[in-house]
Amino acid sequence: MSGIVFANTLRTSWKQVLYWGLGLGLLGFYIGFIASSSDIIQGYADLLASMPPALLQAFGASSVEVLRSSEGWIVSVFVSEAAIFLSVFAVMAGMNITANDEQSGVMDVIMSLPISRSSYLLERWIGYAAIGLGILLVCAAITMFSLVLFGVDAQMDLVFISILNLYPGALLVMTVTCLLALVARRRAHAIGLSAAFVVASYVFNLVGGAASGAIADLMQGLSFFSYTKGEQIVLGNYDPANALLLLLVVLAGIALSVRMFISRDIGV
Amino acid sequence: MASASVIEISGLSKTYGSGSKQTAALRNLNLNVQQGEIFGYLGPNGAGKTTTIRMLLDLIRPSSGSASIFGMDIRDHSVEIHRRIGFLPGELSLWEGRTGQQIIHYVASVRGDTKDITKQAEELAQRLQLDTSKRVRDLSSGNKRKLGLVLAMMHSPELLVLDEPTNGLDPLVQQTFHEMMDEYRDKGKTVFLSSHILSEVQAICDRAGILRDGDLKAVESIEKLMNVEFHWVDVQFRDAVPERLARQLELSNDISDLNINGSRVKMRLVGDFDPLLRMLSEGYVKDLRVEEPSLEDIFLAYYSDGREAR
Repeated sequence: MSGIVFANTLRTSWKQVLYWGLGLGLLGFYIGFIASSSDIIQGYADLLASMPPALLQAFGASSVEVLRSSEGWIVSVFVSEAAIFLSVFAVMAGMNITANDEQSGVMDVIMSLPISRSSYLLERWIGYAAIGLGILLVCAAITMFSLVLFGVDAQMDLVFISILNLYPGALLVMTVTCLLALVARRRAHAIGLSAAFVVASYVFNLVGGAASGAIADLMQGLSFFSYTKGEQIVLGNYDPANALLLLLVVLAGIALSVRMFISRDIGV
Repeated sequence: MASASVIEISGLSKTYGSGSKQTAALRNLNLNVQQGEIFGYLGPNGAGKTTTIRMLLDLIRPSSGSASIFGMDIRDHSVEIHRRIGFLPGELSLWEGRTGQQIIHYVASVRGDTKDITKQAEELAQRLQLDTSKRVRDLSSGNKRKLGLVLAMMHSPELLVLDEPTNGLDPLVQQTFHEMMDEYRDKGKTVFLSSHILSEVQAICDRAGILRDGDLKAVESIEKLMNVEFHWVDVQFRDAVPERLARQLELSNDISDLNINGSRVKMRLVGDFDPLLRMLSEGYVKDLRVEEPSLEDIFLAYYSDGREAR
């Protein structure tokens, strides 16, 4: 790998770091503003306490107590929403790895150059993975700034780690989208399948978390959202094996994508 | 001494689809292209020209058979091969939001020698009268084609693979392109170009292969192909066609498919124009149109005397 495709990916797509990072960061900024009022947080927690537990899940928390602390409220409300927005970016990034260039016909020019298919895919993947990380860092920086600006009494490190904890999930969605695009060949099909993957994961996490029993546990186990819950970080019972498991699945997905890209016809 | 083969294709086939929907795009292609020659790959749309080229570039994989370029298998050594070739796709797509210069710089950096290649690209762009500072989306189709030619040629490759290279180019630029091809030949480099325009292949190629419905029908030198060349001639006289002229045309060995309708004559002419022009002076010629034979006409002419593909 020469790194030229990676560098070019960063050069042509760095603005996404700015736009997505600012977009998510502004949401964090707004959440930081709200979190500065302990009355709002307590009122919100009281409201949810009067509702069924399933509804609590829908708002990204499993217990009302978590919501009563500033960092717990921020992580439950903001980070769970950011995970969904970041999934949208991840689907777009996954399409950008090979599918968009293939659909537009540019891939014919690229693959006539002295670069192997595996190098090309890996460099593009690493490029978009770096952009994803940049987005999270910009988002975290703006959110932390907001907490300092509005004097929110929250454990900054927990908020920061919770935001970065979204990264493995984003990488998974990006990789799955890349793989689906290589299998499905049609852009619209790949986007549809990837969206279905994200929505199904979200629903599985929501329904699985609200219910109990073997099926509910299985549903949660199948959802990538359940492996990146910031709430566990706030409660201090976060298991890093969750992130490692997602990263292993990501690695397997990359290997499959490379294999698929090497073995198939381009642009047919 | 015989030249070395740059492209060697053996039993190459490609089918798309499966089961009852299976279609053969190319069947059992055997072909050699020698170093230093400009080889024309002729055929109507859908004949299998682009399929062949995309297989040579390792963009699509053969269903059977094999091919090598510079003695290296096209699949096993695609990166090494791509280092030494330049390619212009038939339907060129480039990054719409980027300028020609940006694309040239990127492609040059992937090729690993930005400075020399970029300089060569500037010279080529100047020669083709291309403004590389414009974004691709602001370029006309002809100028996009020029940019494609620059990208294919800027690293002075040993082999150029060009799919319908002059599509969309104006006649002046086509002439420049023909000169560039001559220069390539003079430098001992090889060109494999596909076209459905016979006159273009005649103008620049040494040999040509004729492809139809996925089968290579013939591989001939341009001189031999020109032997089957003919033209459709359409003459409009001011008055009715003189009887003496009509008889002369009917008796001429060079003329066939004669159709006289009042003051208008249509015919198929083989060979030189001079005898016909002398005959036509019998009347007052108001308009005269000459059409090149279509590839289909050439096929029919080529096979009507029983010649087989070689």
